Amino acid sequence: MIDPVDERAGAVPGLAETERSFTQLSGGDATFPRILAHVPGYAEAMWGAMSEALFEGAVDHRLKEIIRIRLARTAGDPYFSNLRSTSAAESGLNEDLIEAGCSDFESDPRFDESEKWALRYASRMYADPAGVDSVFYEEGKRHFTEAQIMELGGLIALFHGMAVFMSTLGNGGAGTRAVV
Amino acid sequence: MRSASAKRNGLTEERIDEGIDNWRDSDEFTDAEKLALEFSELMQFEPEKIDDAFYARLGEHYSTPEMVELGVFIGFNVGYHTFFRTLDFYPMFTPDGRLVSQEESRRIYGETPVSHRDDRVVRALAESMEDVDDRPGR
Repeated sequence: MIDPVDERAGAVPGLAETERSFTQLSGGDATFPRILAHVPGYAEAMWGAMSEALFEGAVDHRLKEIIRIRLARTAGDPYFSNLRSTSAAESGLNEDLIEAGCSDFESDPRFDESEKWALRYASRMYADPAGVDSVFYEEGKRHFTEAQIMELGGLIALFHGMAVFMSTLGNGGAGTRAVV
Repeated sequence: MRSASAKRNGLTEERIDEGIDNWRDSDEFTDAEKLALEFSELMQFEPEKIDDAFYARLGEHYSTPEMVELGVFIGFNVGYHTFFRTLDFYPMFTPDGRLVSQEESRRIYGETPVSHRDDRVVRALAESMEDVDDRPGR
């Protein structure tokens, strides 16, 4: 098992700044950057890419936050499943809508057709990648620009990959196992 | 796509194939290397099998920073290669380094990764396309 870098072990160069940024997502649990901090530069590099994908860009951050949580749950990763973006919450994203996006969103009137396509993109990518074909992408282009689709695809790939890695550590937060 | 740095350090297509298709029975890899390859295979297909006991085995060969390095690298690749596959794009260059369109590249590489192709087939295809491009008026 891999434990987070112990904060009492001394300062890790660059980690404090990464942790400050990470709390924007996590509300304070910096287990992920502290695990990556075992390798010099990894916490800054990976969180830099992940925060860019989640918080920046042209796609609604609240939609990307629902997708991120859905991916973490699908991967069986309690750690990222339990984190919540403070800025998404401040913008009105609540637990009811997160639950709706993580379950049967297709028939839910709270999501419009573009949001349903984005959620379908995330749910199909690893469960049925053959279903993410040219026809599927053409449908996506009716709702999003190509740049927005790449923004969503990059977000899905990055957060799925890290959620799978975190799921193997059984690290549900603060160095303890948690239940999804 | 191949790492130029890895090739300069002696990585061959044969070793890549061996590491993908036959690493369990191969004499070409150390126990530590086999465990890293198993880590990548489990992460993609059966991550639930990567438990405390597996990390304990990894820890017999790798330091904690090395295990994190491997885990993040594998996770990143597991995420991105499935995404890339859905985009259905092909290498910009032929095996001999010629810039080609996506349509031409698809004809050369097809659905099979180049590491799974007979080199002679790929070379012959690339050479035949060179012949086409060399025709008058092209």
